[in-house]
Amino acid sequence: MQEKLITIEIDENGNSSLDLEGFQGQGCGDVAKDFRGGDSVTQSSKKREFYAQTVAVKQSQQQM
Amino acid sequence: MSQYEELTTTMTDQQYLVEALTEMGYKPEVQTAGAALRGYGGVSWNRPVQVTIPREQLRGALAPVGFGRDETGVFQAVIDDLDRKCTGLNESWLGRVAQAYKERQTMAVAKTKGYVFRGREVVQTPQGPKVQLRFAVR
Repeated sequence: MQEKLITIEIDENGNSSLDLEGFQGQGCGDVAKDFRGGDSVTQSSKKREFYAQTVAVKQSQQQM
Repeated sequence: MSQYEELTTTMTDQQYLVEALTEMGYKPEVQTAGAALRGYGGVSWNRPVQVTIPREQLRGALAPVGFGRDETGVFQAVIDDLDRKCTGLNESWLGRVAQAYKERQTMAVAKTKGYVFRGREVVQTPQGPKVQLRFAVR
């Protein structure tokens, strides 16, 4: 199983970005929430992995 | 004649702020209840500050730098205008304080939430150096 890795990048103004590897579906939301704290989000985009579990669930529902 | 000016930050935690300044080589003085900030020529700031970097620690500066909480609890930097223009105590300097602050805050959150630290790297980018912190889920 792929290790779940979190990379946080902080620029010279104290702005940070969060990159998640090995996460699927909503699991990344909790991590983002942990590190976001009271900060506001200015940009958010989901990787392909986010949709992987959603698609798998839909396929399994269709097979039933 | 110089005067104090206030520069906006988003920092709210005194401990991380003090740790960030310490990391940058300063020995900040803390007055949690707040203290007056007096600068060059007897100029003083109109609000108390909680964290001060004495002038002696700021190479070539005319006045100490203060960080005082505003009415919402956010720290605002109070810097002499001549020091901001001539000694590098400007927005870029304050950005580096914010960068060090955010690193401290991130490490503390990771520790509290049980993430496993995997490493730190400074990445050079056209926009300046970025600190990269890596964690794994336990």
